Amino acid sequence: MNPSLKTTALHAEHTELKAKMAAFAGYSMPMSYQSLKEEVLTVRKSAGVFDVSHMGLIRVSGEQALEFLDYLLPNWVSQLPDQKALYSPLCNHQGQVLDDLIVYRLSAQELFICVNAANKENDFQWMQEVLAAKKFQCQMEHFFADYSLLALQGPESFAMINKIDAHLKIDDLDYYSFQKKEFMEKNCYFARTGYTGEDGFEIFIPNSLASNFWKKLVELGARPCGLAARDTLRIEVGFPLYGQEIHQDNTPLEAGLQWTVKWQKEDFIGKQALLEQEPSMKQIRLSLDKGIPRQGYAVYQNNEKIGVVTSGTFSPHLEKGIALAQIRKDINLDENNFSIELRGKFIAAQRHPKAFIQGGHK
Amino acid sequence: MSQKRPENFLYTQEHEWAHIQNDDIAVIGITDFAQESLGEIVFVELPELGRHLNKDEAFGVVESIKSVSDLYAPVSGEVIAINEELTQSPETLNAQPFESWLVKIKMSNKDEKNSLLSADRYQKICEQ
Repeated sequence: MNPSLKTTALHAEHTELKAKMAAFAGYSMPMSYQSLKEEVLTVRKSAGVFDVSHMGLIRVSGEQALEFLDYLLPNWVSQLPDQKALYSPLCNHQGQVLDDLIVYRLSAQELFICVNAANKENDFQWMQEVLAAKKFQCQMEHFFADYSLLALQGPESFAMINKIDAHLKIDDLDYYSFQKKEFMEKNCYFARTGYTGEDGFEIFIPNSLASNFWKKLVELGARPCGLAARDTLRIEVGFPLYGQEIHQDNTPLEAGLQWTVKWQKEDFIGKQALLEQEPSMKQIRLSLDKGIPRQGYAVYQNNEKIGVVTSGTFSPHLEKGIALAQIRKDINLDENNFSIELRGKFIAAQRHPKAFIQGGHK
Repeated sequence: MSQKRPENFLYTQEHEWAHIQNDDIAVIGITDFAQESLGEIVFVELPELGRHLNKDEAFGVVESIKSVSDLYAPVSGEVIAINEELTQSPETLNAQPFESWLVKIKMSNKDEKNSLLSADRYQKICEQ
């Protein structure tokens, strides 16, 4: 292994399970264990557990925590009830997307934010700059080195998590909710969120408890799943990924995230820029009967190049190639006649107005 | 799932095998190492019959759920047979890599087989 790579608190478990490891955002992370296909199928029918400890957890606390986050983010954190979670992009003053994240609101004075691994240091620095410039009465701290993040995903997650320990009851947590629980005398945070479209939990626990928790979930029947399965699962349900569908060269309006931009708010970072900008791109979903679309492949309509595949994979459920693509905003979707260029050949593509698979969450 | 590498096959740095039959017919496949690194193979694209390939030319692809891998001609010559069954059941490349041939090439330069690797030398590459 490249010695400059960081490892998570579960590295020994991955090694023991003979995971295929790869470098991801500066970490050595499990891509898959025995069978990627089985991992994907298992999450849709029972439950899988993912180590996503490379992601970052940030705490914002204090009197003006809500004011700060309402100004920082396009989405409306102060409208969120306590113990609920909210997805939002994080933008700069030009309206460009720096990252996408989930805000977990414990109370009006204590909120947590989960950000992408590759951006976590930059996000934290950006947030500190905003905080310093606007002098909101609140503090920030991060748990990048102290906390692990496990994602338990699949229809059996709820039953499984409630069997971990007699002292740990997670039976009052609705979809997109968040709670702090004490476990083994430590603060743990449970969110009923995820990135697979299935019911499940994202569990923030101190590194010292991570291995124990992982082993219990595996004993209870959760299949260890890697980042490759996670990526395939999120493409199947049409969730965007930062760096692919969402990146610094597009705005939330071009990345299909209009619903996260709350114009009614008096001000937020990027609002003015977003108001002045005419989005030039939009997102669609395509599938192929033959061949597998991959990131960067060109998308055509009536023999005219109109965009590019931002994420592509083989779907083990549909048993065919599927793609998320970014195309010109002015394209008439009803005209159809889409195709994707695969190694010089044009393969007819079907548009999916809805996600390829409707996950079973809620 | 992995099988023992046949001693009488020749190998390439690109993790393909070539079995030379009747002096100038090269039967081409991918190795146990290749299928293991790719994971479950879900798609295979093979060239047209009759196509002339130059040594090291890309002639097709094998794809797993998450990755694409080009196939390179280990030798020059004409494609005289393709294994159509693989396009229907690409997973046999995982289960039986040394029995699942991709194409047969009528070699235009028999000396090119000297540039291929023995099973022993290929093993050293896999260990690196």
